[in-house]
Amino acid sequence: MKTKHLRAIGLLIVTGIFILAWVFPIFWSVLNSLKNEQDVLAYPPKLFFEPTLAAYRSVLFGPQSILPNLWSSFVISAGTTILTMAIAIPAAYALARLRVPGSRWAGFYVLATQMLPPVGIIIPYFLILRNIGWMDTYQGIILIYLSFSLPFAIWLMVSYFEDIPFEMEEAAAVDGASRLTTLRRIILPQVQGGIAVTIVFVFLNAWNEFLFAVVLSGNTVRPVTIAMFNFVSVEQTLWTQLAAVSVIAMLPVVILGILAQKHIVKGLTVGAVKGGGRR
Amino acid sequence: MTGPGKVRFEDVVKMHGNFAALKGVEFEIEPGEFFALLGPSGSGKSTTLRILAGLDMPTRGRVILDDQDVTAQDARERDVAMVFQSYALYPHMTVAQNIAFPLEMEKKSKAEIEPLVREAARKVRIDHLLDRRPGQLSGGQQQRCALARAIVRRAKLFLLDEPLSNLDAKLRLETRAELKRLQRDLGVTAVYVTHDQEEAMTLADRMAVFMEGEIQQIGRPADVFARPNSIDVAGFIGSPPMNLLPGRIEGGQVVVAGKPLSTAPAGLASRDVIVGVRPGAVQVNGTGRAATVEFVENLGDTAILDLKLDGAPIRARISDGRPFADGDQVAITVAPQDVHLFDAETRRRIEA
Repeated sequence: MKTKHLRAIGLLIVTGIFILAWVFPIFWSVLNSLKNEQDVLAYPPKLFFEPTLAAYRSVLFGPQSILPNLWSSFVISAGTTILTMAIAIPAAYALARLRVPGSRWAGFYVLATQMLPPVGIIIPYFLILRNIGWMDTYQGIILIYLSFSLPFAIWLMVSYFEDIPFEMEEAAAVDGASRLTTLRRIILPQVQGGIAVTIVFVFLNAWNEFLFAVVLSGNTVRPVTIAMFNFVSVEQTLWTQLAAVSVIAMLPVVILGILAQKHIVKGLTVGAVKGGGRR
Repeated sequence: MTGPGKVRFEDVVKMHGNFAALKGVEFEIEPGEFFALLGPSGSGKSTTLRILAGLDMPTRGRVILDDQDVTAQDARERDVAMVFQSYALYPHMTVAQNIAFPLEMEKKSKAEIEPLVREAARKVRIDHLLDRRPGQLSGGQQQRCALARAIVRRAKLFLLDEPLSNLDAKLRLETRAELKRLQRDLGVTAVYVTHDQEEAMTLADRMAVFMEGEIQQIGRPADVFARPNSIDVAGFIGSPPMNLLPGRIEGGQVVVAGKPLSTAPAGLASRDVIVGVRPGAVQVNGTGRAATVEFVENLGDTAILDLKLDGAPIRARISDGRPFADGDQVAITVAPQDVHLFDAETRRRIEA
């Protein structure tokens, strides 16, 4: 009995430490985004102060508004996500169902692309984009993002498709459904959890990406991850505004996560029909 | 019953690489018939059903459905309905949506679909579960849902792939009786795959016994039981299976383990044979051939005696095992009409 209590307490402490470490930067950003310039620099840091939305007003509607950058980020992330899913869903379905030669190696290849250090490929990407004249364009940056997100999305989706028993499709065929109808009415609804998870992953990666964006774009196409650095200069760092931008940049991600959560949970429960088994 | 649903398999061969899953299967099914494909696992019965459904293509041969060659037709063009072993219910749809799906694929209107779904659900007694999802149903209810989805469309053929194998014993008996009633009421042609001879015996009008990719025997269950045409069928049908003992025909007698067991049919020359006797046909009484009781298995309403007949093992099924104990000496007789004779070389039945 006693050891059980001790274990519970120990677990709580460890979990607490992890949550603290994870929450602290967010807490720090939110807190500082609500301070004025004096309170930010006060030492020791103030936990109690008069909150102000001045920083938000300035980064949203001031001369250095980040609204265009948020829009850029959105165009890049949504474009990457839509294109990725449009290609990944049929590709993953095909890989899961058809006997494609070399499909066993595809998984390894995908993981390998995820392990490559980005700095190693940034120069070739730079040269490619420059040669086709897509430097600092939306299509250029989306193309680059596709090259990481697509293999990963396919790899992720394949496992969801593979979980659906083959008999499901045979039943649909006997019921008179065409292949396309089967995919749309029978298969896709059952992998909606997987689709939601993949969308979140792809969108997040595109939204958070910094390195490629800063090297391969930055003037006309300027996502919010780069724009943030407007507030850091040699003379001074505008902490309140930097914090406000961070909080704003986090919001879409949080909203997306909440929206997707419902689908993820639904996707988990929908597949729960016992009595499967092989013929 | 006459109507659509006549099936003919013509020399159907199915190769998986170098392995022949079906080696020239031929049979005919009459409209309205309940036809069972019976055999051990890997015998080709499921492959036959899948080829009939259009889910697999034969390597060679033809499949004829209502005088039309459908060999090259896909499952979706064939107008067949199927109950899968795993039921293959669509987990994201309600029971009603599951049953309605084949009708929707026929582009029927909502107004037409609704009463048909209700009717099919009522026939299998799940009309109170229409709004549930498959995940919220018991195994038996899922099975009924799969049945309803198959009968709702009035397809030419009703295919069942081991539909009872995932149910517990009691439910299996109930559903078995209901299946038979359902098929009679609907008057459809049913093709039923099973490895359970009892299911085939009770349900089927006729059955085909599969072994290693070939049909060994086709006939009414009672006829196949009474006159198995090969050693393999004899050993497969019946529980416990038929006693199969090496023996000889000599001087008008069937000789087993050196001594006569029964009278041989007239007109057979002396030769080596395999002698088959159903356990139920071994009469344990005071007269006849001496045997030793090795083991008594009491099953409640019957008992199985494991006997030794001068060294040869033979089983007897009797109504009451209580008078017997291990080691007892008994005497057995076998009536001449209960003796089955097989050729050890060809494994075929020797017709008298």
